[in-house]
Amino acid sequence: MFFKRQLPIAIAATIGFLTLFGWFVDEPVIKSFVDDDATQWFDILASFAMFLGALNLLKMQALKVVKQQKGWPYAALAIAGFMFSFTAGFILLGSYNVEISQYDDPAKVATVLAAEINLDQKSAENILIAMPEGDTYLIETPYFTKKGADKVVAEINAAGGMANMRATEWGSHISTRGSLFNWMFRFIFTPLSATMFALLAFFVASASFRAFKIRNFEATLLLISGIIIMLGRVPIGGHISAWFILYIVVLALGAGVNSYWKDRTYTLVAVVGGLLMVTIAGFIMGWPVDQPAIFYLPVLQDWIYNNPNVAGARAIMIGIGLGIFATSIRYILGIEKSYIGE
Amino acid sequence: MKDKQFWSVAGTIFVLFMIYWFLGHPHFVVERAVMFWAILVVGGVLIYSTRMAQRGEKIFLRSIPGLKAVEEAVGRSTEMGKPVLYVPGIMDMDQVETVAGVVVLGHVAKMTARYETSLNVPVSRAIVMKAARESCRESYLIEGRPDLFHDDMVHYLTDDQFAYAAGVNGIMLREEPAACLYMGKFYAESLLLAETGNSIGAIQIAGTASPSQIPFFVTACDYTLIGEEFFAASAYLSQEPELIGGVKGQDYLKMIAITMMVLGAVINLFHDLGWISWDILGYLTVQ
Repeated sequence: MFFKRQLPIAIAATIGFLTLFGWFVDEPVIKSFVDDDATQWFDILASFAMFLGALNLLKMQALKVVKQQKGWPYAALAIAGFMFSFTAGFILLGSYNVEISQYDDPAKVATVLAAEINLDQKSAENILIAMPEGDTYLIETPYFTKKGADKVVAEINAAGGMANMRATEWGSHISTRGSLFNWMFRFIFTPLSATMFALLAFFVASASFRAFKIRNFEATLLLISGIIIMLGRVPIGGHISAWFILYIVVLALGAGVNSYWKDRTYTLVAVVGGLLMVTIAGFIMGWPVDQPAIFYLPVLQDWIYNNPNVAGARAIMIGIGLGIFATSIRYILGIEKSYIGE
Repeated sequence: MKDKQFWSVAGTIFVLFMIYWFLGHPHFVVERAVMFWAILVVGGVLIYSTRMAQRGEKIFLRSIPGLKAVEEAVGRSTEMGKPVLYVPGIMDMDQVETVAGVVVLGHVAKMTARYETSLNVPVSRAIVMKAARESCRESYLIEGRPDLFHDDMVHYLTDDQFAYAAGVNGIMLREEPAACLYMGKFYAESLLLAETGNSIGAIQIAGTASPSQIPFFVTACDYTLIGEEFFAASAYLSQEPELIGGVKGQDYLKMIAITMMVLGAVINLFHDLGWISWDILGYLTVQ
């Protein structure tokens, strides 16, 4: 019980207090613990835990395949993907470069080189001629296999050049451009991630459609604010006159008067009076597009974004901040023990 | 801790700190003193509220629809014979939201154990997997149903954000859970998850303290715990007096914060008008 209850709480409390109050102490040992050591300890623990995660993933997917559960081909694909990544990362180096150091006849060597770097014969020859005396030319794109690199070396040597193969160091092969692992990352993983991210555009549209449905006062307010923000932030918003918005406001006011008093006379007076006032004001002011500024969409959206929006967001942020602090204090003092299952 | 012990410990710490302070407080970063005193005040108020609750003071906790709906969601899953999907965010245990998510998972696991409903918890971090698994195991034990618990109900998918979203979406479309709960720290994947959950007709409850993701959850989920409501979830679900006391402490702190903001604005106005020379903004700005 001591190891499952008291000890974890004691560790959480000690490290919690140290991290919290370490910020106020100008002492190198404590500073280095809080800023570096503690996070490194976490990274080390997370690295070990990674094995557990990988094993769990393999076990779950293998069970799905063995039991032929619904969607088992996806599980088989997941296992294949895992194995491929593992092999490209830990077993196959997948990154061998070819280096040309000398040549007798640049035209002959250029024939081989041109095919390897996808250039025409003349450009490849120019590259070789431009190579300084005693320097080497490295074919930038590495070969996935040693055999492939050796073959090119043999071809160059047969053409009268002198080339040798250089294997990339283990570890750096992960980030070397053109290596097997890097190829997998750039051409399989990145496009797949981008595809998932791109789905957001469609989901935002469907979610906005639901959010903007006029159901109640709040949803209507959201719809109007959304339209103003969207229009105000695109170039066309700047071409919509403030007077046009004012006319819409007058009509909306008329709708409000009608729904409140339910009297045609009142509605007529409000709408006609409003339209007349706006028109007279327009003639007096000369119908400038951006005046009155509060009804000009770019200014209006800016006001909505920086005032009501920021006020609401800050209120939420203060609540979140207090919530995070209160929760942390509960963990540090051992008041909240649910995270260890109590 | 009893009152006498508590005050003895608190008094000793205070006396030791005062001695340290009057000795010239070596190594103390004086520029951050405001933040230090603020932490002491906030911590003190929270501890006071917790102790008052422990001593039996009646505390009213307003009903939070999102949390009331958790039991309803688990019940719906039971009736439909479908699993409950719980997503504890995509970050590691160094984020307080993830820890809060794991804490709420413990309460949800108690409900699924009680109702004999299957629970599926895909996670994106191996440490979270271990913590969540322990939390679920304890909950099933407490409910007297260790036979229903199996390790694989909490399983690891991947560390990558969008790969994880793809994996969880796949689970949703294949297993069609009747309830999807999202409690933790989320980024851009929040809408991907919530919209997929919406498309399968699951009852969805989300809780996060990520301000930029709250609108997405509000739009796509049936209930959303906004910010501090999420951190109050554990208190609400457990009804433990000391946890509820902490929630009341937060309310006291909000009152203090509002008072300080109004006072600060007035004092700053006086400073701007040249009536007083003390620059409160300069004093409050943490270095």
